Amino acid sequence: MLTNKTEALALVLPAAVFAVAVFLIPVCILLSEAFRSDGSWSIAAYVEFFSKPLNQTVFFRTLKLGFLVTAVSAIVGYVAAFCIVGLDPTSRGRIFGLVVLPLMISPVARTYAWIVILGRTGIVNKALTGLGLTDAPVRILFTETAVFIGLLQLFMPLMIISLVSAMENLPRDAISAARVLGASWPQVFIRIILPLTREGLVIGGTLVFTGSLTAYITPAILGGAKVLMLETLLYQRVTVANDFLSASVIAMILIVMSFSTYMLLKRVAASKRGAQP
Amino acid sequence: MKRNLWVARIVIFLTLAFLIGPFLIIIAAALSAGSSLAFPPQGFSLRWVIAVFEVKSFRASFGLSMFLAVFGTVASLILGVPAAYAVTRYRIPFGEAVRMAVAAPIIVPGIIVGLALLRYLVIPVGMTVTLALFLAHTALVLPYSVRVVSASLENLRPDIEEAAVLLGCSRFGAFARAVLPNIRGGILAAFILGFVTSFNQVPVSLFLSGPGVRTLPIDMLAYIEMTYDPSVAALSALLAFLSIAIVFAAERFLGLSRYV
Repeated sequence: MLTNKTEALALVLPAAVFAVAVFLIPVCILLSEAFRSDGSWSIAAYVEFFSKPLNQTVFFRTLKLGFLVTAVSAIVGYVAAFCIVGLDPTSRGRIFGLVVLPLMISPVARTYAWIVILGRTGIVNKALTGLGLTDAPVRILFTETAVFIGLLQLFMPLMIISLVSAMENLPRDAISAARVLGASWPQVFIRIILPLTREGLVIGGTLVFTGSLTAYITPAILGGAKVLMLETLLYQRVTVANDFLSASVIAMILIVMSFSTYMLLKRVAASKRGAQP
Repeated sequence: MKRNLWVARIVIFLTLAFLIGPFLIIIAAALSAGSSLAFPPQGFSLRWVIAVFEVKSFRASFGLSMFLAVFGTVASLILGVPAAYAVTRYRIPFGEAVRMAVAAPIIVPGIIVGLALLRYLVIPVGMTVTLALFLAHTALVLPYSVRVVSASLENLRPDIEEAAVLLGCSRFGAFARAVLPNIRGGILAAFILGFVTSFNQVPVSLFLSGPGVRTLPIDMLAYIEMTYDPSVAALSALLAFLSIAIVFAAERFLGLSRYV
């Protein structure tokens, strides 16, 4: 380690000053805006924001979708990761590549595909009417279900990747041993798999949860004005009503939520490193 | 055990079908001859793929997105490589604070950054939207640049540059002649990751658009709201092949996954 402070600062300062100037300062001013009313400090804007039923609905819907998407992608992720890890190395690499692939594709393109599938004349509705299950097309697009499906598809790869990495270090013998000793699959999962893959679950869960909370594209395309989430609400408040106070409140909510999940992630990562010899 | 293997195969197939299937449908819809978005496609034609190149706004926004992705990422590397070198090789005063400042753009949702820049730099100071977009995209990519380059610096033993200095190089000379050639792969990996991140980015650019100034994903969103023809599907398919080709080439020639 070099200790020349002048050199170190000269190297780091451009990046740090840039981040502070174009990033930290404007964002902090924006956040402070909701606390300033008529020249004094207050939380009136927050009280006002949460007193409106629409805002409450959007807030709880965002949380609910965040938790649901995280929970379902964890369940599917565990099953999928368990199957992927069990493959031979060559096909494991190939399948892993196919799971990563969607992350490189524009989220607009990925979300747009669901319009073809879930729309009034989409595949799902054609199948339903073709099978005689419904007479009229079912409304799926612009419902919470559509947004849920879109978010799940967008973020599930992150969960699978984290869980596969965690499970690669899982001793397979432990599972066989537990099975031989008479443990049922649920017991194996709770007592062996879950404790040993906890870090992977937390990392994947954090990525999926913050991703869902701060999603814009999915609710914008699949939810429209009917199923607003926090980011689409923010956009609407600014563009439709020039309401920067609500925007500032929503910005604070989003930052607090993603920052606290980020800190949780850091703590878990640190405890993992500390546990290793 | 044989039965288990089949179950595993079916589970993997279903998961991949959910993750990738919709995208295959988009490609099929893009090759349709019909005039509205549908699956199964009505006949086969390339008319919508050709139509993409004829939409004037797509050409302009593609150019802007390319410009932002290339120059924003280059700018983030110019700022990020020295910073990465400092955090891996030096004991920095307030090291943790510096790390947080540089990592902040990952934690703060992009939509807020875009709005903040619009409100405090574009409107009052009169900064052009293009410049604001450039700054925002640079800030957005900066954490990735620092992280990927740091990772490749950590894999490089400091002895090499110490040897260079002992043999008479200046510190800068040692960096340029001993370190830089060794982290070339990491820098390229950071560039590709930054390029893809910036090119696909929506929330940051949402508020930063003016007359004739729009990034491609924002333009696509606006187009989707107005029309229901397969041209966006065709464009999506083209863009996907572009990013897959870039990532595939990077993996093939550089081993991108070693750095990310």
